[in-house]
Order: sequence, then structure tokens, then C-alpha cells
Amino acid sequence: MTDHAPDVDPRLLEILVCPMTKAPLRYDRAAQELISLEAGLAYPIRDGIPIMLVDEARALDEAEKAALKAAPPPP
Amino acid sequence: MPPAADPLRVFDRRALRLHRDRAARDPGRADFLFQETAERLVDRLADVARGFPLALDLGCRHGVLAARLAGRGGIETLIQVDAAWGFARRLPPPAAVAEAEALPFKPGAFDLVLSNLDLHWTNDLPGALLQLRQVLKPDGLLLASLFGGETLAELRRALMEAELAEEGGASPRVSPFADLRDLGQLLQRAGFALPVADSDTIEVTYPDALALMHDLRAMGESNAVAERRRGFTRRATLGRAVALYRERFGRPDGRIAVRFEIMTLTAWAPHPAQPQPLRPGSAQGRLADALGATEHPAGDKAG
Repeated sequence: MTDHAPDVDPRLLEILVCPMTKAPLRYDRAAQELISLEAGLAYPIRDGIPIMLVDEARALDEAEKAALKAAPPPP
Repeated sequence: MPPAADPLRVFDRRALRLHRDRAARDPGRADFLFQETAERLVDRLADVARGFPLALDLGCRHGVLAARLAGRGGIETLIQVDAAWGFARRLPPPAAVAEAEALPFKPGAFDLVLSNLDLHWTNDLPGALLQLRQVLKPDGLLLASLFGGETLAELRRALMEAELAEEGGASPRVSPFADLRDLGQLLQRAGFALPVADSDTIEVTYPDALALMHDLRAMGESNAVAERRRGFTRRATLGRAVALYRERFGRPDGRIAVRFEIMTLTAWAPHPAQPQPLRPGSAQGRLADALGATEHPAGDKAG
């Protein structure tokens, strides 16, 4: 499924931030999620369309947060 | 993460999204009002003599405004956003699901924000306007329409009176809407320059109040007030409301009159090149000279 999922439009990706904290997001292409480390939330992407609703986001668990903090954000 | 109970939360945004998802199944069925107001917004945009490289359509439904724009308005890229997945899933990229109350965009991202009959569902309109100003570039334009306080006033009255008579109590059945006189002030407080809010009434006719309520559902505009009564309205109450509506607002041709008040907001993100008010006392000449009048001392001047 993720192999065929369309990418988020780059013009959109460039200006998206976390709706809750307004902090930058990390694009996890494999999981099709936009991750807000500050808010501890992952916003799902369906068919290339980001769902930027706080009450539809997945809460990150502690292990995920630690792994994300350890890994530098992609350039 | 459902939001906590809050007296300021007038609208149930989850219910609203469900209503819109339902409306998205057959979006062309009752979209005449959205089409009409979209055309009016495009007309206004056409009057602005400048280009808008990147624009946002907030609450775009099935792309009504984009279809009406059809290349007009000097927009290079239009990002379409709706709160309901039902609408967003059929949009061409770039598109996203998002809401005015928690905008997911960088400050200064857009040259133009358009919104066609959507902001009346916002719980925190001052907060939403502030966020809209922040996502605009300096000298960026907000052009939005939303329902005003006179919208569905007849239906509101008929339902309330019917419910009082049949059930001995009343609950909100039609959304509360913002007033025009509040909006200019809200825009100013949100930091917009040159704000203008005006209002138009669109009157349409329906066979009866049931047909109207049916259409409101098809539009995704049915009751999403958080304090609304859940479950079905009693048949006797509905019947009485239909009769009351016809009695009060019936037309000679047997149909009923329905009014929608459409408020339109035009406001700019501040920019130094915009016309600015002068500092008090900074005038270089006398007003009396400019008017060709003789200046008389006011008499009550101190000193």
C-alpha cells in the first residue's frame, strides 16, 4: 500500500506545520505520517492528503519519541 | 483526543465533519447557495488588480470556488482544504484536511486566503481570524463569506415556538451566527488592515419547511450546536413548525420564503506600503484652508 501511496504535494509539504504547536513536521514517507515531536502526535496521510486534525492524530509512545529525538531531522 | 467540555465550544466540530462527510456523497444536490456565493467572491477578487502566487481555499467542500475561479483572480497555485475527509479525498493535489481553528500552515505562507461560507462554524472566530492573519504574507488578502445573524431567522422562530408549544421547552436548532457589526471589530483586533465587512441577503423559496431542512442536511449545514438535543424531533413538533412557518412566512404562491444573510469580509495583512492614518497633530496645513472656510475659535479652549 505504502509503495503506491502518492507523495504529499511538495508545495503543500513546504508550508505545513503542526496545527497545535505550529512547529515543523517530519515527513515519515514509509509510515505515511507527518510527525510533530513537540506535540507528540503523528498526523496520518491518506492517498497523499494530510489529515491535519488534532483529534485524528495518533499519539506517539515514549519509545518513538526517544528514537525521534536521537535521530537528527532529515535535511 | 476529544476536546474537554467547554462553555465556549458552541459547535460540535465532530458532528459538523460527519454532516459534511454525508453531504460529500452527493455534493451537487443542494449546492446552489455555495455556487452563488462563490461567484460573488470571484467577482470581488477580480476587482483586485494584482496577482496571488499562492492561495488557500479554506472550507472548499467539493472545490466549488476552484471551479468558479477557472484561472481567474491571478492565482498561480490554490491549496484546497476542508474539515471533512469526504470532500478532501476527491480534491486534486495540493489538498489537505484542516480546520480554521487550528490552521496547519507556516506564518506568512499565503498571498491570499479565500473562504466560501465556512467560518460561521468556527467556535473561536477571533482566534481563527488571528491565525488567518498570521498565515498571510504582509499585504496578503483575506476574502471570506459566512452566514450572518439573519440567516434562517424564520426557521429558528418556527422551530422554537413549535417546541415550546409541544414540549414545554426549547433547545437550539439553528446555529447562532456572528453579527456584521462585530466582524469589522474582530478583524481589526486580529491585526488586519483596511477591514471591510458587508452584508447581502439572498432570498429563496421552498415548498415547505421540511423541504428546506432536507436541503440543509444535503448541504452539510444541519444543526451541529453542541447543546443541541440528540435524537429525532417529535413528529408533532415538526408538524407544528411547518404549519407555523407557512402561517407567518408563506407566500401567495403557496411556497415559503427563506432568507440567508451572507456577510463578506475583505481585509489585508498589514504592510508599510498600505495607506496609513497620519499621526494626530502632524498636519502641514490648516483644515479651514483646505475647505476654503473661515476658522472660528471654538471658544471653550483652555488657555
